[in-house]
Amino acid sequence: MSSREERWKEMKQEYQSHSMSERQVEEMKKRMEQAKRENRKERKQHTGRKAAAAAAAAAVIISVLPNTSANVAYAMSRVPILSKWVEVVTFRDYKYEDDRNTADINVPELVPQISTEKGTDTADENAESVDTQTKENIQKSAEEINAEIQAITDRLIQEFEENLKNQEGYQSMQVSSEVIAATEKYFTLKLICYQAAGSGAEWDYFYTIDLATGERLNLADLFTDGSDYVTAISDNIKEQMKEQMAADENKIYWLDSDMPEWDFKEITDETGFYLNEKGEVVISFNEGDVAPMYMGCVEFTIPNEALADIRK
Amino acid sequence: MAGLPWKKTKEKIIEELLLANYNQYFRLACSYVHNDDDAADIVQNGAYKAIKNSGTLKEEAYAATWLYRIMLNEIFSFLKQRKTESIDFIPEEPKTEDTYEDVDLKRALEELPEEERLIVELKYFEDMKLEEIAAVMDLNVNTIKSRLYRSIRKLKLRLEEDWQYS
Repeated sequence: MSSREERWKEMKQEYQSHSMSERQVEEMKKRMEQAKRENRKERKQHTGRKAAAAAAAAAVIISVLPNTSANVAYAMSRVPILSKWVEVVTFRDYKYEDDRNTADINVPELVPQISTEKGTDTADENAESVDTQTKENIQKSAEEINAEIQAITDRLIQEFEENLKNQEGYQSMQVSSEVIAATEKYFTLKLICYQAAGSGAEWDYFYTIDLATGERLNLADLFTDGSDYVTAISDNIKEQMKEQMAADENKIYWLDSDMPEWDFKEITDETGFYLNEKGEVVISFNEGDVAPMYMGCVEFTIPNEALADIRK
Repeated sequence: MAGLPWKKTKEKIIEELLLANYNQYFRLACSYVHNDDDAADIVQNGAYKAIKNSGTLKEEAYAATWLYRIMLNEIFSFLKQRKTESIDFIPEEPKTEDTYEDVDLKRALEELPEEERLIVELKYFEDMKLEEIAAVMDLNVNTIKSRLYRSIRKLKLRLEEDWQYS
C-alpha cells in the first residue's frame, strides 16, 4: 500500500473517531424525551376532546324487546341477528390520496329496524307504553349516536383538509368500525381511528347498548350503587400489568416507573370498555395511555370473580 | 388477557436509529459547519424534530434515509442562518498534525466541492452504499457514480473501484 493509501486509511480512522461528547449525547437524549412527551400530550388532548363530544349525548341504540313471550324466547335463545333490531350501514366514505396525504374515513351509521306492529294486547298497558316509549327512544337514540360519531369524524376530516395546505408534511388518517362482542344482552360498536400527522396514533371509541333496556351502557351501570368498581377494576389491571411485565421483558406498562406522574393510577369515566361474550368487562386503553406507544392499544379482560361482589 | 399484538411504532424505530447512529449525523454536520458545538446542536435539533414528526414517516423501510434527510435539512438551515448572521465568521480549521506529504491529501479532500466531498466521505468513511447515498442526497445513482469517480481522480487515489461495476 502506498503512503497515500495509508494516509487515506488514517484519515478514515480519524474521521470515524470523531464523536459527540457525553454531555452532548445527554442533551440529545433530553431533546428526544421532550419530543416524546409533547407527542403524548397531543394524543391526550385528542382523548380529551373525545370525552367532551361523548358527554354531549347519551348515545343509544335500542332494540325493541317484543312483547309476546314467544318472541322473547326467540331473542334469548339465539345469538341475536342484530340486523333484526339495528343495522350498521356506511353513512359516508371519505377517501383521499395524493403523494403526501391519504385518508380513508368510513363513517358508520346505526339504522334502527323498528317493527310497525302495534301492541297486541290493549289491556297490557305497560307493554303498550313501553312499546311506544321505546319506539321514540330508538329514533332519538339512533340520531344521537349517529350525530356523535359524525361530530368526531367531521372534526377529523376537517383537520385532515386543513393539513392538506401544508406543502411539506405527510399525513394519513383512517377510520373504520367493527361490531364486537355482540351477545343477546349487549351490542357494542367500536370506532377505530388512526391518525398520523406529526406523531402517529390509534385511539378507539366504544358505544355499548344494553339490549334489555335499550339504553347506552355506562360502566357504572354494571355495578351496585355506591360500590367502588373503579378501584376493583384498576387493582386487577395493575396485577395483570405486573404479571405480564414479569413474564415478558419486552412488555412495559407505566407502573412503578421512573416517572411516577405517568404511572397508571385508575380508570376514569372516559376509559373505553365493552363486554365480551362471557359477559366479562374488557377495559381498553389507547396508545400511550398506560404504556409506551409501541405497545399499541392495550386491553385487559377483568375476570368475573374479581368483580362478583359488586356486579349487579 | 386480550392484549393486542404490539408493534414497534415509527417513534420507536426513529428513536433506536438515532441512538445507534448519532455520531454519523454528527460527523456529517461537522464536515459542513466545521465546529463541534454547532454540529452537536444540529444533531440535537434534528433528533427532536425526527421524533416529533415520526408519524409522517411513510415507509419504515426508509427510516434511515428519512433521518439523514432531516439532519441534512437541519445543517442547511443552520448554514443559511449563519450566513445571514455574521460576515466575520471564520470556521475553525480541523486540528491535525500533518507531515508535508499528507497535507496534500487532506487538503485535497477539503478543497473538493462540498457535494463531492460529502459523497466521498459517505462512501469511503461511512461505508454507505451508492443507492443509500443517492437517496439521502436526492440524486440519481449515476450522478453519484460519476461525481465519485471524478473526485477520486482528483485525489489521485488508487482505491478499489468496485463501485464502478455495481
